[in-house]
Amino acid sequence: MLKLENISKKLGNFSLAEISMEIRNGEYYVLLGRSGSGKTQLLELIAGLNDPDSGKIWLDNEDITTKKIQERNIGLVFQDYAIFPNLTVFGNIAYSLRCKKTDKKVINNEVTRIAKELNISHLLNRFTNNLSGGELQRVALARTLITSPRLLLLDEPLASIDASLKDDIKRTFRQLNRKGLTIVHVTHDYSEAVILATRIGVIHNGRILQEGLPDDVFGKPVNRFVARYAGIRNFFRVKFRNEGRSWKAECNGNLVLNLPEGKYPEEGLIIIRSNAISIFKADPSNEAGNCFRGVVKELSPSEQGIELLVEAGEMFYVDVPMNDFKKLQITEASDVWISFPAEACIALPGGG
Amino acid sequence: MSRNTPFTWILLMLSSLVLLFILAPLAGMFLHTGGSELLETVNDQEVRASIWLTIWVAFAATFFFAIGAIPLAWLLARKKFPMKNIVQGIIDLPVVLPHTAAGIAVLGFISRDGLLGKVANSVGLTLINNPAGIALAMAFVSIPFLINSARDGFAAVPERLEKAALSLGASRTRVLFTISLPLAWRSIMTGFVMMFARGMSEFGAVVIVAYHPMIAPVLIYERFSSFGLKYARPASVLFIIVALAVFILLRLIAIRKKETHIVPDAEA
Repeated sequence: MLKLENISKKLGNFSLAEISMEIRNGEYYVLLGRSGSGKTQLLELIAGLNDPDSGKIWLDNEDITTKKIQERNIGLVFQDYAIFPNLTVFGNIAYSLRCKKTDKKVINNEVTRIAKELNISHLLNRFTNNLSGGELQRVALARTLITSPRLLLLDEPLASIDASLKDDIKRTFRQLNRKGLTIVHVTHDYSEAVILATRIGVIHNGRILQEGLPDDVFGKPVNRFVARYAGIRNFFRVKFRNEGRSWKAECNGNLVLNLPEGKYPEEGLIIIRSNAISIFKADPSNEAGNCFRGVVKELSPSEQGIELLVEAGEMFYVDVPMNDFKKLQITEASDVWISFPAEACIALPGGG
Repeated sequence: MSRNTPFTWILLMLSSLVLLFILAPLAGMFLHTGGSELLETVNDQEVRASIWLTIWVAFAATFFFAIGAIPLAWLLARKKFPMKNIVQGIIDLPVVLPHTAAGIAVLGFISRDGLLGKVANSVGLTLINNPAGIALAMAFVSIPFLINSARDGFAAVPERLEKAALSLGASRTRVLFTISLPLAWRSIMTGFVMMFARGMSEFGAVVIVAYHPMIAPVLIYERFSSFGLKYARPASVLFIIVALAVFILLRLIAIRKKETHIVPDAEA
């Protein structure tokens, strides 16, 4: 298990502040954050490339905070792979074994085995100048995995890879994780987190904002930043009020939203996923939930189909599957009804 | 193909003038030297000995000083330390000094009263008028070329490659020999050749430290001042031919090293 205890590190104007987290053995932990959020710096501290100013790093109950990088047995795959251009693919993969003065026969066998596993046997005698991003990624991975690391750190591993190769690489990561390898993967792309993570942490300005299972982080983001990362685009600053047993949220006097039961502060932020909103050509009469009449202002393609921008008191982003969109024959300026259950309204008490 | 505008023609004309300025004196010297004169000079034992002395002493100076200069270049490229700019300034100092002044400085250092001279004397070695003294004078004026070129070479090696090697279990020494040095090799060799060439052509500092044994530039000067231009010319031509041949040979050795494409940190 990897455990970080109040890790702080100042790097110029930027600092990692009091970071504490635990990553259990066998987990696929995705650390999500924008560039400059501190995620790479955190990986480098774990790997031992830099020392923290304060705090402790534990790996399998051993304090490795000041342990030499060479003795940590933590594998790190760099964002740009950091392949040695003066060595062949074989030389790159064999590098760590040669450092340990391993017998030549063993090196040959090990390199051949790992190259076969990662489908790069045909590249072994080549220099790395003309390899594709996907091939370089596999060479970097092979070079790290041959050390049998206790923990694999991946720094934006899919950022420089063609879209067509990403699925293959993701499959490889998943297989490695299924075999029991603990992986910490940092990325700015939330879709990678959704697909790969067993647990997620969101980092911003050197602080971990939220940690948890993907459903928890994306379903109940703690603030606006995390919500944005979860792909949520509907944010409404509201005042909460209690009417009998039900709760309402009033948005700028234009809109009153029905909320699920719960406890609410006086003011806060409501977020609604764009795929939680349904769209109709006529009033669907959703009295228990929320139902508003509006006008379509914009249409744009989305992953699921079409994203509509609907003015219904406030601006709502609505994701409509392509089949529904075709059936409803919606165009710009169409009159529509939007509807969503009270449970789709997620309150962020602090307002993010 | 781009059109030849008046601007291009002006650039071409100015560039040609500069090239002509370099080539014309050399060509004149070669044209004024007859084959028989050159042959006679080749057979002149004194000339041959001085050229050989120049080459081996310049090479030895470059080689031995490289042992300390290359680690210093790595430190300058990789480490932050107090007064680094001052250290860099000190390294560049010999380039701006008048070479005779450099010679006087070296002479003070290696004479019997000087710090190094005393140490050498204690083991029975006199550095003045000795190839070792010549090597020191050559190294003094030429070492900035090696240090600066090697420093630029190390600085161009992305740090993340060194970090990757460390994370794979390599010691700092191993990283230096397997990653940093091979990737900076081209710049180091360029610096080596430049230092060697600069040392070989040094006159001002060497003549003060050691008139004898005569290196080729001193011999050429001696022939010119004693016998005139006509006698100095064949020795100059021969020295230039030999120096060029050695220079080209070393450049070829440096270039033969396989070219590797390095992606700098900023692009990564």
